[in-house]
Amino acid sequence: MPVETKPVALSDEGEKSTHLAAPHARVGLSGPVIAVLALFSLVVPLLPGEYPTIVGVEILILSLFAGSFNLIYGYMGQMSFGQGAFFGLGAYATALLCRWCQAGSTDIGYPQFFLALLLAIPVSALGALVVGFFLVRLTGIYFSILSLAFGELLFYIVFSWYGFTGGDDGIQGIYPPALLRDPHYYYYFTLAIVAAATFLIWRITRSPFGFTLRMLRDNQRRTAFVGVNIRRAMLLNFVLAGTFAGIAGALWGPFQRSVSPSLLGWMQSGTPVFMTLMGGADFFAGPLVGSLIYTSLNAYVTRFTVFWPLTIGTIILIIVLFFPGGILSIIDGRLARNRGSRGA
Amino acid sequence: MPSDVSSFLIQLFSGLSRAMMLFLVASGLSLIFGVMNILNFAHASLWLLGGYITFTLYQVFSSVFGQNGFLLIPAILLGTAFMFALGWLIERVLIRRMYARELPEQLLLTFAMILIIGDLIKLVWGVQNRRIFLPIEPIEAFGGFINPYLFIVIGCGFGIAAALWFFLHRTRYGKIVRAAVHSREMVSALGIRITAIYAGVYAMGVAIAAFSAGVFLPIMPIGLGLDMDLIIQCFAVVVIGGFGSILGTFVASLIVGIVYSFSVLIWPGGALAVIFLILVTVLIFRPWGLFGTEMRY
Repeated sequence: MPVETKPVALSDEGEKSTHLAAPHARVGLSGPVIAVLALFSLVVPLLPGEYPTIVGVEILILSLFAGSFNLIYGYMGQMSFGQGAFFGLGAYATALLCRWCQAGSTDIGYPQFFLALLLAIPVSALGALVVGFFLVRLTGIYFSILSLAFGELLFYIVFSWYGFTGGDDGIQGIYPPALLRDPHYYYYFTLAIVAAATFLIWRITRSPFGFTLRMLRDNQRRTAFVGVNIRRAMLLNFVLAGTFAGIAGALWGPFQRSVSPSLLGWMQSGTPVFMTLMGGADFFAGPLVGSLIYTSLNAYVTRFTVFWPLTIGTIILIIVLFFPGGILSIIDGRLARNRGSRGA
Repeated sequence: MPSDVSSFLIQLFSGLSRAMMLFLVASGLSLIFGVMNILNFAHASLWLLGGYITFTLYQVFSSVFGQNGFLLIPAILLGTAFMFALGWLIERVLIRRMYARELPEQLLLTFAMILIIGDLIKLVWGVQNRRIFLPIEPIEAFGGFINPYLFIVIGCGFGIAAALWFFLHRTRYGKIVRAAVHSREMVSALGIRITAIYAGVYAMGVAIAAFSAGVFLPIMPIGLGLDMDLIIQCFAVVVIGGFGSILGTFVASLIVGIVYSFSVLIWPGGALAVIFLILVTVLIFRPWGLFGTEMRY
């Protein structure tokens, strides 16, 4: 995008000291974190029992979901409370095509299955395009409110459209092809897709477009003055984020063997928000770390108590009050202090 | 379908009562945002909590003094007072720490409160819906039957609206609150302790919401999940009316409540969609709301 490369050059010279300098500095921490996570993710299926692998698949899918959210939050500076809508749209697109291909049986061929997964991309992108068209006209508090409102609207549509989506019963009995029914294989399959998608997101954040987004976060008016079409850039990013959320959703349905309208609900939309906050929104690896912590907590806490919202709500409260930058920023702060005391 | 004048009128009254509840909850939301710049996501959750507390108080009173519908009045008053105190406490302990923070963190804090309050309600009151049955016979009016309690609800709504107006325009404290909506810096520069105003406004907003939940108990059962439905409609109301404007909130409540009530009649599934259509139209053409000022946006 030739229009958008120029302002980046300008801003890079201009404001080294503010936010724009931060991503450069912080890639230092995201790099090793991702390397460790990548190594760790390869050996998870070797752990005894199926449970860690199942939780592992959820962590992977939700980390992509949270990563997509952070394109909007961490990079563009807007808080979306409706990201679950696109996760759900992707899940429903895949689930509906799967059910149609299965035609009552539990068998599905590989081409049909992959086609069903691919269908999630245009469906969620289209959904994000329609919602984004309205959303990008707003910022701040209004953006958050309208994103929540649109999310709930889509939820109600899916919830009440019995003929097509099955209403509040959802859709049961979505099966991946034979080999992928084994959680271990599905794990590596998911890992490959999530890794590829995460790499794409990383490329986006390092591209001129990614720096345009950071500019939008730091100063919208100035971004407009240097010649960026603000709404077009925001819309493009919103569609990209929605699409990645849709891909995550597509992987979710066949793994859980079912989809339900709650995948589009406000609680689902809150999940990536919490994850990103826990990990640290200023770091590329933040949502990944957040997903690891949130999903593991969820998997093990819900064994002991049904009051998961109370647990996670309290954790969020503590994080917001006392550790506002997330876990990675605490580590980063420690590292910087150590470096400072040794170096200077 | 509305075939004649009587069903039209009945629908209008049910829309009016709905509008009153929206106004009572949304006015607090709007005031809190206007004065403190905090969007209180948990406002409807506090409304719901207020409803449950009033319900329990009513049950306690009934078991002590015997079954009597008028016991609802002390139950509502006590419940409102309790929620006022709780609102004060929440502002002092939690919200106060967020004024200097960025918007996303403020949103997250109140979002976390939704989760906590929702689960606490589940913990204490369980998952079944609660309502109060009052022995009121429907009366015949306009050629149909209508619950006279609806008129009480509508009267309460208008009463609170008038009281709120009086408070904001005719009392010293209210004038300070309105000045704070305009410019917090100026108010504190004039030597008024703005932090003391904050807790009062937050507690008042929560108390009005709790009051409305109590008043509505006899005609509308409360249950888990209602808070999310309500908060989204309240957002629609305050955005349509304009943040910080009580008049705007009142007009927008009437619009949303009555439109909703008639849409349900014509197209049950799409009532919410119609509200959203209004919301989106307002946001695009007049993002600061019908009665808000461009400056604040």
